[in-house]
Amino acid sequence: MEVKRVLIIDDEESIQTVVKFGIAMAAGWEVLTASSGPQGIDTAQSESIDVILLDVMMPEMDGIATFHALKTYPETEEIPVIFLTAKAQTAEKNHFNDLGVSGVITKPFNSLDLPGQISKILHWELQS
Amino acid sequence: MKILLIEDDEAIISLLTKSLTAHRYVVDAVRDGEMGWVYGTTFEYDLIVMDIMLPKVDGITLCQRFRAEEYTIPIVLLTAQDSSTAKIQGLNAGADDYVIKPFDVEELIARIRALLRRCSATPSLLMSWGDLLLDPVTCEVTYNGQPLNLTTKEYELIELLLQDSRHVMSNDEILDRLWSSDEFPAEATVRSHIRRLRYKLQEAGAPHDFIGTLYGRGYYLKSFDQPIAPLPQPSLKTAPSLTTLDASRDSTQTLQYTAFLNETWLTTQPHCLAQVEILFQAVQALQANVLTEPLQQQAHHIAHKLVGTLGVFGLTQGEHLARRLEDLFSGAQLRQPEQVIALENLVSLLQQEIQSTLTLPRRSAVAQYSLAMLIIDADAGFTQALAETASQCGIKSAIAPTLEVAYQSLASSTPNVIVLRLSDPTQRRECLQTLADYLPKIPILTVANQDTLDQRLEVSRWGGTFLLEQSVTFEQIVTYAVGLVQPPSADAKVMFVDDDDLWLRSLPALLEPWRFKVTTLSDPQQFWNVLQSVSPDALVLDIKMPDIDGLELCQVLRSDPQWQQLPVLFVSALEDAKTQNKAFVVGADDYLCKPVMGDDLAGRILNRLRRIKSFTNRSS
Repeated sequence: MEVKRVLIIDDEESIQTVVKFGIAMAAGWEVLTASSGPQGIDTAQSESIDVILLDVMMPEMDGIATFHALKTYPETEEIPVIFLTAKAQTAEKNHFNDLGVSGVITKPFNSLDLPGQISKILHWELQS
Repeated sequence: MKILLIEDDEAIISLLTKSLTAHRYVVDAVRDGEMGWVYGTTFEYDLIVMDIMLPKVDGITLCQRFRAEEYTIPIVLLTAQDSSTAKIQGLNAGADDYVIKPFDVEELIARIRALLRRCSATPSLLMSWGDLLLDPVTCEVTYNGQPLNLTTKEYELIELLLQDSRHVMSNDEILDRLWSSDEFPAEATVRSHIRRLRYKLQEAGAPHDFIGTLYGRGYYLKSFDQPIAPLPQPSLKTAPSLTTLDASRDSTQTLQYTAFLNETWLTTQPHCLAQVEILFQAVQALQANVLTEPLQQQAHHIAHKLVGTLGVFGLTQGEHLARRLEDLFSGAQLRQPEQVIALENLVSLLQQEIQSTLTLPRRSAVAQYSLAMLIIDADAGFTQALAETASQCGIKSAIAPTLEVAYQSLASSTPNVIVLRLSDPTQRRECLQTLADYLPKIPILTVANQDTLDQRLEVSRWGGTFLLEQSVTFEQIVTYAVGLVQPPSADAKVMFVDDDDLWLRSLPALLEPWRFKVTTLSDPQQFWNVLQSVSPDALVLDIKMPDIDGLELCQVLRSDPQWQQLPVLFVSALEDAKTQNKAFVVGADDYLCKPVMGDDLAGRILNRLRRIKSFTNRSS
């Protein structure tokens, strides 16, 4: 399987660090990081990204606003977005699905499992 | 199964690693006794193989050290010394088996397997996994009471999987173990047997994936949320917390990931603590009735972030506390008095959890809910009322009506405090003993209904705290329980009087971990003014000072009835019994000789504060 490029947008630096390490270690994928919605949109526009992991609760521009913004740019509208959230209520998950996100991954997660979870959501084939 | 190999001979390391790996054991090899100790106490293994002659710390000493620290993990010693004295010495040190070099690798592996079997949760008799039960004596297999009608091969197959339930069995391995070499069965044979076995299990009500497939690797029994622990396993410390899938993952990867998490935690911890400070500010503002909307929102946001961050780092307990705080800070009923108390307790517990986590817990892939208080008692009326009161104070509790349930609960999560109220003295004794052995750090509050010296003696012998049921309310039980968990030091004001400026200046740093509010005074002439304006919770005095000495200061203090209660500790370079005696005569509570270590000093201060706290609790 080719090397995927993941962009994680999360205002918690430690989460970025851990996700980057875990994904690189488990699947050898490349992980780009951004600490805010606007920064993430910039990166998504200028780099070629296979999937965006987007934290829902961020100060100023939250995940939902960032998601809507990403859908307005031709360079980014096609990129699948997976929400990262510590909230797991079904109602909220349904709400996210209605928005058109590709999936939701609930915190806490083990970063080593992320490539598997992402592949499952996006129907990518993972090598065993 | 994971094995720690402690050996300095490279040839043996490579030989054993290769052979054990071929038998599907996961091996970590370290080359000296010190590293062996570090690995053995940091990571979880099913068995340790160690040489006797090791650099830094020898095998016998290391073995004794593991046993002294109550690690019950099986240990096999390897040595070139073939004398019965050496053997006896090794076995006396706590080793379980002894193999002499040069050894036959297959024999060593057979011994390892036998030891692991002996130490497994099902050493003989019944084998179980979830609702599946296999009786090797009668060869009966049942699922949830439903008998399964199995062929010989199906029986052998399920027995094989049960024997080593955390092990992924490959096709080849199953063929090797269940078919003799002259049968030449095809690989598909195993698959068809597994398929039929699954079908029969499903018919008896088992989930379709009771036997899981790991593609390219083999078959295994799926793990359950509730670990099955029929007896108090001496494995509370060594219980493997990794599930099958995690165990099948490359162990070095998991190790490296854990090491990386630990490293990242070092920089994350201060950040988390800074965020908890803001939560404290919000609680204080709430108490003073000045909590603004933006601050409440900020606190809510922080709590939410902490849920994610702490969870990713594997701090389940902290994650849970943060989640509860998130709920409370989002609520409109925040201003009710009981909510304010709950918030304060929660934030303190959270801070403590973050502060006390120096190395991260081992990751468990099954998210287990954590709890703060475990209540052990058969009387549902009592346990539920107590749990309810605890929940009003923001403390999550779990109820265990029997010892078995308690052990199960403890195997999956660790509470901050245990409340024990078993009226049966034998059960209570067993419980106190087991808990003191396996979880010596968790405080136990025993609620007894008989006020006899015998009962009190028993509780105190096992390090428990005694409460007489008739004399306490549920609220008081919860308060005492929280008091056992929370150090009374948080924000306690401690005043030091000493003419040694250098020492005074070192104190804030020395005592920083205990969060005392330290006031220092080098001029005894100012004593009374400072004492009254600071109004400390504890006083630490030097003896030899110019003009007025510490003994006189203490006398002055005690001559005023208002200051009778204040704990006074002397810290002095004078070691003679006469001076110490004088100090106690003028009203000292404790006496320490310089030089004093930070934790010793803090420990003594904490002792006094605890006594005072329990006294005021009682009188209020």
